[in-house]
Amino acid sequence: MRYEVTLDGRRVRVDLASDGRFEIEDRVVAADVREIVRARQWSITVESESHEVTVLTHEPLRLDVDGIDVRASVVDERALRAGSATGRASSGRAELRAPMPGLLKALHVKEGDLVEADTPVATLEAMKMENELLAPVRGRVTRLAHSAGTKVEGGAVLAVIAAE
Amino acid sequence: MIRSCHDLGLRAVAVYSDIDRDALHVRAADAAYPIGPAAPRESYLNAAGLIEVAKRSGCDAVHPGYGFLSENADFAQAVGEAGLIFVGPPASVQRALGEKTAARQLAREAGVPVAEGTEPLRDVSAAKDAARRIGYPVLLKPAAGGGGKGMRRVTREEDLAAAWRASTGEAMTAFGQPAVYLEREIANPRHVEMQILADARGQVVWLGERDCSIQRRHQKLIEETPAPTVDDGLRAKLGDAAVRIARKAGYVNAGTVEFLVDQTGGFYFLEVNTRLQVEHPVTESVTGLDLVALQLRIASGEPLPFGQDGIVRTGAAIECRITAEDSFNGFLPAGGVLSLVREPSGPGIRVDSALFAGMTVPTEYDPLLAKVIAHGRDRDEAIARMRRALTEMRVAGIPTALPFHRFALSTPEFLTGRYDTGFLARWTEREPEDLESGRLVAAALAAVLAVRSRAEHAREPVRDTAWAQVGREEALR
Repeated sequence: MRYEVTLDGRRVRVDLASDGRFEIEDRVVAADVREIVRARQWSITVESESHEVTVLTHEPLRLDVDGIDVRASVVDERALRAGSATGRASSGRAELRAPMPGLLKALHVKEGDLVEADTPVATLEAMKMENELLAPVRGRVTRLAHSAGTKVEGGAVLAVIAAE
Repeated sequence: MIRSCHDLGLRAVAVYSDIDRDALHVRAADAAYPIGPAAPRESYLNAAGLIEVAKRSGCDAVHPGYGFLSENADFAQAVGEAGLIFVGPPASVQRALGEKTAARQLAREAGVPVAEGTEPLRDVSAAKDAARRIGYPVLLKPAAGGGGKGMRRVTREEDLAAAWRASTGEAMTAFGQPAVYLEREIANPRHVEMQILADARGQVVWLGERDCSIQRRHQKLIEETPAPTVDDGLRAKLGDAAVRIARKAGYVNAGTVEFLVDQTGGFYFLEVNTRLQVEHPVTESVTGLDLVALQLRIASGEPLPFGQDGIVRTGAAIECRITAEDSFNGFLPAGGVLSLVREPSGPGIRVDSALFAGMTVPTEYDPLLAKVIAHGRDRDEAIARMRRALTEMRVAGIPTALPFHRFALSTPEFLTGRYDTGFLARWTEREPEDLESGRLVAAALAAVLAVRSRAEHAREPVRDTAWAQVGREEALR
């Protein structure tokens, strides 16, 4: 199985053969891989250099590599072929979700408004603080899913923005 | 606090809200009592309920910690009236210093400089008038409470109304009263605070300063002592000013006098925190003192066991606050289940932590998870030890502020000690670190294995191990 891995913006091709061998960028890699904590932490020696990789969060995929924080994404060959690897930026539609449960204190936009990227869309109160949630992209607000003053779950879609 | 009790041979009684039943402090204590639902108002802020538990459990004294009711004069008074010892300054002192504008007045009377500011303001139009008089940028601050909660910086009049609403709203949520006042902003200040101790016989000493300039949303992330820009002369002046304020207020027990230091070494009184500070371990590290134990001794009427000359500071100490906040996403608070925790240790490292694998981090409370404290013979050694400790530490399952701290401790600004409260902007402008080839290979392999392994587990039948459970909860989110 072939994968395309992006690590902090850098693309790396990984082949995982059925016999358990790895190829990185078409080169066989002599890596000894041990899963220390299931689906969470690996000890990997590469030519006797010792590395430890920990999955900090799966969604989005964030890794700790020997104490260095790395943002990662993985696309397998099926998805590559299907052409879905381009991500949501070009899909023309971005969702603003509540990063945690809380009280939706205020909405700073109306449906139909044009918002700039990184400008406030909503204020969410959680952990005794008011948090400004910013527009992920520049675009037109096509939907506001909740009204101000309501409690929202973590992950709830608050606004849909059509990129412009 | 529980550790200090145990060192003194005292039994410790903990309280917990419904969602804190599994928290570490419940197991560390000798006894633990439920005090109600998760909402702070119904549990940790319920003074009557807390006092009832203290009496029922046979406590002699109540230590209010450093959040919730720790600076609430009514609570201190109620504890005393219930025949219990309050571990902290008396209610009268808390009242005199807790209301920030009254504290500023007291500092002026003690001959200590204060930044230009107002009394609590009636409404937003009064705030507008005052801001015009003082000149922008100004700071809106809740008159009650501290810790940066509810504080707003305003650079122009158009933003004042929104800031007023936010500030009064947060003040109401955090402190139960909406009163807000206004203060002139000092340009690029350093936030320096002086630790004091006072016994009931009127003896007051200062233990040294802490620099707390690295903040986000006016809340501290990194603290250190000695402050890199404070020399012996300024230190003695700050100590003297803090002691004068404490004497004027009739202070008893541990406290912190906060100052803003401008770029010419001029200083302005900010506020007194009438409680132990989150960052007290850095002072403990360089003085070798246990501040909680001293608080307990002072509260039981003992005199301070040393005078000003008996305090010896050795080396330097730094604290990093590891919070449940996503440093890659505007420091938004995050809740969830911790799947893996590894705390650092080794020479010069102390960790005060609430963390354990499997812990559910609630979103109801302050996001502080753990404090990592490094002590060295000098600042360079303390920094080297802290960098090693942060590289060693792992907290997986939710995003934390750990990436920010790793970055901060490697910036030229921090290494040379020339940072100010605007430091956080450096983080947002940073470039990602380049991975060397071996790491890149390891990271790429693990990324693929993580995605595969997760997909496999999603199909697997339920297994009754802790890891399976944690994995399952994660998959469900």
